[in-house]
Amino acid sequence: METTASIKRFAHDVEARVRPEIEGARKRIESAGERVTTYIKENPGKCILGAVALGYLVAKLARR
Amino acid sequence: MKPFGDNPTNAPANGLTTGGKPDGGPTLRQRVDQCSRSAEQMWAETRGSLTDLRDAIDVKGRTNRKPYTALAAGLGLGYLLGGGLFTPLTGRIVGAGLRIGIRVALLPLLEAELVRMVETFATGAAEETSSSAG
Repeated sequence: METTASIKRFAHDVEARVRPEIEGARKRIESAGERVTTYIKENPGKCILGAVALGYLVAKLARR
Repeated sequence: MKPFGDNPTNAPANGLTTGGKPDGGPTLRQRVDQCSRSAEQMWAETRGSLTDLRDAIDVKGRTNRKPYTALAAGLGLGYLLGGGLFTPLTGRIVGAGLRIGIRVALLPLLEAELVRMVETFATGAAEETSSSAG
């Protein structure tokens, strides 16, 4: 009984410590995604040209 | 002094005149004006075509609606321009896509077939049990 209770307590502690970290990480990822989307929308030409250049480079590397 | 040597029409050797030709042809100024007008017209037409092309492609609108799709399209275009179509990497990507696609497409079919088999088996077993009991 004592062991089970201690395991439960430990699990609760871990959850209490990990859950905010996970939530924070999720929010950070969402925020980064929004920032990227906004940047792409504000600079479409630059981003698409960059993507074309990146694709070109990947193709050149793949041909080697 | 004769300005153009022995030319009796007093015109330059290239046939162009500056003050009008005796046969009524265009003067040098008229030709220059015509060239200038043609160049301006061509430039205007080129600009119009470019504007039409830009409107047709609508990069900004597409990027606003689906930014990641537009980026992927740019990446693909660059890949094609770089000659990456017939490379082993393309083969691997296409192969992996096909495998995943076939799995995703086949999974519901297999699931339905399994459910049908289980139902048939269960129905048969129930009928057998009831006939043996009766």
